[in-house]
Amino acid sequence: MTLLYKEIRLAAHPTSIVFTFLGCLVLVPAYPCSVIFMFGCLAPYLTFLNARETNDSWYTAVLPVTKRESVQGKCLLTVFFQVFQLLFSVPFAVLRNLLNVANNPVGLDATIAWYGFGLMVYAVFDVVFFTTFYKSGYRVGKAFILAALPMAILMAAAESTAHIPALAWMDSSQSECLLMQLPILLLGITCYGVLVPIAYRISAKRFEAVDL
Amino acid sequence: MDSVLSVQGIHKHYSGFALEDVTFSLAPNRIMGLIGKNGAGKSTTLKSILNMVAPEKGSVTMFQKNFYKHEKECKQRIGVVFGGIDFYPLKRLSTIAAVTQRFYANWDQEQYQRYIKRFALDEGKQYKELSNGMKVKFLLALALSHHAELLILDEPTSGLDPVSREELLHIFRQIVKGENCSILFSTHITSDLDRCTDDITYIQNGRVLQSADKETFLRSFEHLKTPEDLGQLTLGEIMLRTERGEWDDDAAV
Repeated sequence: MTLLYKEIRLAAHPTSIVFTFLGCLVLVPAYPCSVIFMFGCLAPYLTFLNARETNDSWYTAVLPVTKRESVQGKCLLTVFFQVFQLLFSVPFAVLRNLLNVANNPVGLDATIAWYGFGLMVYAVFDVVFFTTFYKSGYRVGKAFILAALPMAILMAAAESTAHIPALAWMDSSQSECLLMQLPILLLGITCYGVLVPIAYRISAKRFEAVDL
Repeated sequence: MDSVLSVQGIHKHYSGFALEDVTFSLAPNRIMGLIGKNGAGKSTTLKSILNMVAPEKGSVTMFQKNFYKHEKECKQRIGVVFGGIDFYPLKRLSTIAAVTQRFYANWDQEQYQRYIKRFALDEGKQYKELSNGMKVKFLLALALSHHAELLILDEPTSGLDPVSREELLHIFRQIVKGENCSILFSTHITSDLDRCTDDITYIQNGRVLQSADKETFLRSFEHLKTPEDLGQLTLGEIMLRTERGEWDDDAAV
């Protein structure tokens, strides 16, 4: 927790924190909800950029912290951003249903499947972003560009499901459809739960070999 | 007496530069100056000691423990200051201190407040608002507030005016006297060492040329004296003549 506290107080860019609250956008009647995932990927990007410009890794290196733990701190912060963002969106998704807002004409609504896709997007982004960044410890732009490609493809795929009649159940909030969507959420949780720790391990190993 | 820091045979190669067999040790309650011209390998040596760069060979023993194996434990007992690097320029000193204190089991808030007062630091200020001298003082206050037994300082006096430098050197002396603390600091300003160090390690082109207490160090360079030199050579003269000898050799090639 000390590591996460340090990351939030010193390393996190204020805009990244604002982005974590953008889960509320699921309430907007005609908004491509999957763009919210992009904010969840931009949040770590901005923070890593800010950390680099404020010599965060140097400061962390003089604290009683190993390089491995320094990577752990950033991974924890990213997980915090992304999970908080999705959890924060839940009451707004519920409210949208309670208000009987019409089905989103742009793409997928914030259904259970949408949350599953979100976790998959975040898992894939984090694997590419962390492992690329920690090869050098400073090339954050390259890491983001490489990670943004699969992120964009997965986002587009998630939004497209709403326009494929055979997959219309993914865009529905009917209880039987929501039940059908549960495996997608479980798959998302599994992807996130497996890929992020793998990304951390690979990144920590790479960062240990980086000379500051 | 056991040394607080022993560096043995550190090797680190980069393209165009290498640290070769860097070896020296620092005894308790002593101040050691690590000297050498710009690019000689002083900062790389300090970063190798701290595992910020991974040396290919060599060992670092700190407080009789292998630093690389007991990094966290050793870091609890040291303070590190990098001169000339701005950390979190937009953060207030109080925020940086509030975070830093959580990492140290021995954090002493009263001691911290004493140093903040003594160094006339305003905790409400952002880091970027501090002068270079005040930045070093703030980082020293953080380092001393967890009762560091060893301070590792990289160019703490560079970029400071003569008055601030003199003040810092005075503070170093007081710290060693009053805090059961040793100091290893790198500098290329040799006049700093004349005034405050007990031991000197001279690095030239990534190799330790000499590491000894100040008197032995000065004696070991007597061969550089010319008939015109009546007294002992100063550290500045030793460094200049050693480095100039290298230029002359280069010129001969």
